This record gives sequence, C-alpha cells and structure tokens, in this order.
Amino acid sequence: MFSRIFSSGLTRRTFLKSTAATAVSAGLPGAALAQGEPIKIGFLAPLTGAVAAWGKPGLDGCEIWAERINEAGGIQLSDGAHPVEFVSYDNEYDPAKARTGATKLIREDGVSFIMMLGGDTWPGVQPVADKTGMLFSTLLPSDLSPDTTTLIAPAEVHPIYNVTGVEWLAENKPDLKTAVMCAQDDALGLPSVATYLAAFEAAGIEMQSEPLLFDPATTDFAPVVTRLIADSPDIVCLDTCYADYVHPICEQLFQQGYEGQIISCTADFYDQMISKTSKEFMEGFIFQFPDFDDPALNSDQVNFEDPNGFYAEYAERFPGQWGAVSWEYASIMDLWKAAAEKAGSADPEAVIAAMKEGGTGKHAFGDADWWGTELFGIDNALVGDWPVVVIEDGKATIKGFKNIPEWYDKHGDLLVKHMKAYDQMWDQRG
Amino acid sequence: MIELLAQTCLNAVYAASYISLVAVGLVLIFGVMGVINFAHGELFMAGAYAVVTFYADLHLPFLVAVALGLVFVGCLGLLMERALFRPLRDNPLGGLVASIGFLMILQALAVMGYGVRMEHIPPVTQEVIVFSDKVRLPLSRLFVIIAAIVLLGALWYFLKRTKFGWALRASAQDPEAAELQGISINQTARIAMFIGAGLAGIAGALTAPLVSVNPHMGHSVIVTAFIVIIVGGVGSLEGAVLASVVYAVVHTFVTTFYDGVIADIVGLSLMLLVLIVKPTGLFGSADRA
Repeated sequence: MFSRIFSSGLTRRTFLKSTAATAVSAGLPGAALAQGEPIKIGFLAPLTGAVAAWGKPGLDGCEIWAERINEAGGIQLSDGAHPVEFVSYDNEYDPAKARTGATKLIREDGVSFIMMLGGDTWPGVQPVADKTGMLFSTLLPSDLSPDTTTLIAPAEVHPIYNVTGVEWLAENKPDLKTAVMCAQDDALGLPSVATYLAAFEAAGIEMQSEPLLFDPATTDFAPVVTRLIADSPDIVCLDTCYADYVHPICEQLFQQGYEGQIISCTADFYDQMISKTSKEFMEGFIFQFPDFDDPALNSDQVNFEDPNGFYAEYAERFPGQWGAVSWEYASIMDLWKAAAEKAGSADPEAVIAAMKEGGTGKHAFGDADWWGTELFGIDNALVGDWPVVVIEDGKATIKGFKNIPEWYDKHGDLLVKHMKAYDQMWDQRG
Repeated sequence: MIELLAQTCLNAVYAASYISLVAVGLVLIFGVMGVINFAHGELFMAGAYAVVTFYADLHLPFLVAVALGLVFVGCLGLLMERALFRPLRDNPLGGLVASIGFLMILQALAVMGYGVRMEHIPPVTQEVIVFSDKVRLPLSRLFVIIAAIVLLGALWYFLKRTKFGWALRASAQDPEAAELQGISINQTARIAMFIGAGLAGIAGALTAPLVSVNPHMGHSVIVTAFIVIIVGGVGSLEGAVLASVVYAVVHTFVTTFYDGVIADIVGLSLMLLVLIVKPTGLFGSADRA
C-alpha cells in the first residue's frame, strides 16, 4: 500500500511532513484568531436525503442568526470583535460522510465549534471529537456518553421532552385511557418509543399493543394504520416519526376513519397535513415544536432573542419551510456566543467551561440545568422547560410549558426501565 | 376481526397493484434487452415528480398530469435505450452500471430542480367508499387499482394480440432468430423501454398523492421490485404479476398482524426460499435465469 503511494510521486519526506502537519493541526482545534478574523462555525448535518428536513432549515436559521449578530458588531472576545460565519458540510445522515466532514471542517476550515443533528451520524464523528478535543453539539442527547466530554446537547433533549406532551394530555383530557404507537426502527425512533412508553405509564394510560415498528424505507402506511386503529384506541402516538412518515400516516388515519387523539413529537408543515385531511381532523393534534410567532414565546422566561422577529424573517426568506429545527441551531449559537464572550476566547475547552459554569444555562425556553448523568452518563444536556403545542383552528398554539427534570424526579425510574428494555441507555448502545 | 381482515385485504390489493406495474416494467426491459435497469425506481420517482409539476404546480387536471407523466417517463426510457443501453448492448454488465449512473443523475436532477424535501401534493379526492365502520377504500387508492388492472390488461392484449407484441416476445425469446425474421431489434428495444419505463412512471404518478414524494423515494420501490421479479421468475411477466400479489399479501398481512420490520424479513425470506427451492422463480425458465 505504502509503496504504491510513494511510487505515485509522493516522497517519504513529503508524506511525513504533511502527516505531521496534519496531526499537529488536528490536535489544535480553534487555534487563536487574528484580530477581526471571522469565527468559523461548522454545520455538519444532513442537507440532502430523507433526514434533510432536520438539517437544512437549521442552517437557514443560522444564516439569519449570523447576519443579526454581525450587524450588531459580532462576537466580542478578549482581543476584540469578530464576525461569525458558518461553514456547512452535508453529511447526508451517513456516519462515514459525517466523519469526513468533521475532519474537513477542523483541518481545512479551522472551525471553532461544530453543530450536528447527531443520531446515526455521531458514531462516525466520535473518534474525531475524541482525538481533537473539538466542541460538538447534537440535537439528540442519546448521543451523549462519558466517553466524549466535548459533546453537548444544549437545545433539544430529544426524546425526553416528549413526556411533557403526554403529561399535558393526561391532565387536560383525563378520559383518554388507551394508546397505541408506531415508529421507524432507528436511532431516532427507538429511544422515543421508550420515552413515550414511560410517559404513558406514568400518566396511567394503557398501551393496547406493543409499539409497531416499521422499516424506515416504508412508503405505504395503510397496513400500519389499519393495525394501529384496529382496537379503537383513544390515542394514536406517532413517536418521533420523520415528516415523510407523519404526513402519510395522518392521511391514512383520516381516510380510515380514525376520530381520536393524535400525539406526535413533530408536526412539520402541519398546514400541508391539514390540506390533505381537514382542519377538524387535525384539531387538538399535540406535538412539541412551536411556531416562533407564538405570543407565548414573548414571556420573560424565554431566552431566545426576538422569536417573533426571527420567525417573520425566516418565513419571508423561506416561505413554508419553517420546521422543528429552524430555531434550534440558532439557539445553540446564542448559548455558544454567550460562553465564548464570557471566556473571551473561541477555544473549545474555554467555551465549554464557561458554558457549564455553575451547572446552569440559558436554554431557549428558560433557564435550565446541565443534566443527564443517570440517563447519559454525563451532565452535558441542558434541560429545563419545554412547550406543549396543540393545533387549534389550523394553527400551532403553545398551551403551556412543562418542566422535564420535575417529571424525571417523579418518574425517572420508569424512563430508565423502558430505555433499558430497548437497549437505549448510554452504556447499552453499541 | 373480519373487518380487520377485510381492510387488510383491500390494503394488499392496492399494494399489489402499484408493485405489479413497477415489476412488470422492469421484467419487460430485462426480457427484451437483457438489462437489469437499476434506475427503474428513479423512473417511478420521475413519474411522481411529473405529477408534482403538472398537477400540484401547474394545476392541470390529475389525469392529464398522470398521462403526461407516462409520456415523460416513457421518453426518459427512450433516452436511456438510445444513449446507454444500445451502445452497451454486447456488454451486459455495462448496461447495469450505466443504469446505476443514470439513477444518480436522476436523483441529482430531482434535488436540483425540487430540493430535498418531500413535495406537497393536494389530495385528488377525499372521497372514501365506506363498506363498514372499519372497512374503507379511499377513491384515490381505487384509481390505482383500476389503472393497474386496465394497464396490465392492455399490455397483455398488446403482447398477445398485436404484431408489435409478437415482435417483442420474439425478441425476448431469441433476438438473433427474431432479427433473421426481419424484426428490428432497435425498434423492439425502443418499444420495450418506452412501455417498461412508462409503467414505472405511471405507477409513480398515480401513487404520488398517496406517498411522500422526494428524490430518494425510488430506493424502496426498486428493492421491492427486485424481490418480486426474483420470486416470479426473472423475465416472466405472469410471474411478476403473481409474485406482486403474493408479496403484497404476505407483506401487508405480516405488517398488520405482527410488525413492519418483521414483514420486510419475511419478504426477503420468501425470496430466499424461492431461490433455494426453485432458483428460476415461480414462472422463470432456466435459459432466462
């Protein structure tokens, strides 16, 4: 192998020099910035493919965030102000491509921080994170483990926040007593199944049957829905299904005559679901991701700056594209900016120390705690309140905020039990 | 329980309908041209995007959009025949590799033209035939079932009762002998490609309002189609139709009564069983396989 490389014209000396240079640069992420030099932030998420809906809208939101920050003077470090710019890499939700992307962002682009969707792509990136000490964020705290101290989940505690929707449902519709659930059989679906099972058990809602798992390649959901509603459940839970599944499942529920309650983690592009079913059918649909024009987000507890203005600008630039992640990566950047300015540096180690100082942080939906040792083996998830959203008269409406650690204090044992049953605890994942 | 069985049967009939359209097209192309067309799933996708363009975006009537989809994808088939398969006619692996390349090009074009997100297609109709409280058949699904029966019936008539159909079958059975009888191999290849691609396109177009239309939607369709044609016998149109029905019934019933993941495993096991017991498939002959 080596002889083939050298015979192609690369000398041993050049090879050693370039390898050494690469190794040194890889070991020095976030090297000191020149005064006024832009701070580069890596965006390593699926921008194409089936999971792109949880990547691309986030990048769009980040671009708006960057423009706002740069117009306001940039990021203030100890050596002065720096503009911020995003460098994106489409990992296509593929671990190998994610690994290549992480290496490229660190070595070639010199980013100071990398944001990811996580999930199936994290195992590809983890060795790079461990080797370089680069600070990474994930939207999926199920990626967290004590093995990688520089991975944080500061925006979304998927799937734990799903307990808030079930808790709200049990409080407000106590007559609903039976539920069924379906989910795609993957790294997003399974921990969410365990979470919903715990939430339903805690709320005294009986599961009529085992969760129905389907292959992520499924296109015809009629058999899935026929099975789900066979015993006339009060509640159909769609788990953390991708939008590509939530829409056809809802359409099938409508066509097969289901008239009960639907609860789901997401309802991206719910206006399209309404047009495929009816406003009446979608009335009362519970999920977890608000539109940011919701007046409830203007309360003092919310730390996301100008959510209504952000939403308006997003809607103007990307009409009809608002989704669950449109605000999330931007909210992570709020947290990162505050920590970098506090530390006076973009150095990953300094930023994470400043971010976690005191064990609390300013989550988009309110002040929150760095949390997670029991579930993830490390307190690197920022957890506090999460909104419960209900479709009313064709529009997503925040019905209230519920506190996740409070739920966990009461029912944590149930969550651990179900997570273990699905091999989803941090020490069970392969 | 009877209602559950009845609804599951309706679901299986629908699934068999669109699967058989795709699989028969794939078999026709293989039978006449000897090419395994890996881009067949993307032809299905192209049909779906034709409906996005003509029906959802340009607001043409749905049936017009479907017809345009058939013609458009049929023409894509002609393009593939002329630009890819004809120059590689003496190289069986070459056609396969070229179809994989074309698959990627079609996916990339869909991403460039429409973006990566699923497309929203307004429902054609929300009418549902209600047999009982829990046995329902949406009209949009009934359209697919009727269209599949009509199209496959028309194809059967074309192949068995017309001169072009005989030429096609002759080319499939023995291309050299057919050529000696004055049958143009190029012409039969063009006809097979147009019909085969058109069937995939119309399947995609008809089902577009019922599924998530995205640039990668062809993947699961081609996997199912391959299972079906292996079970039915590679090169056998009758086998493809029968295997579509068997696969759809098995997959739908297992999904409904057990699990979607188990249904996939059972579907693949069915293919393995056929390969072990009758390697040529249910209707295949040794020389075709």
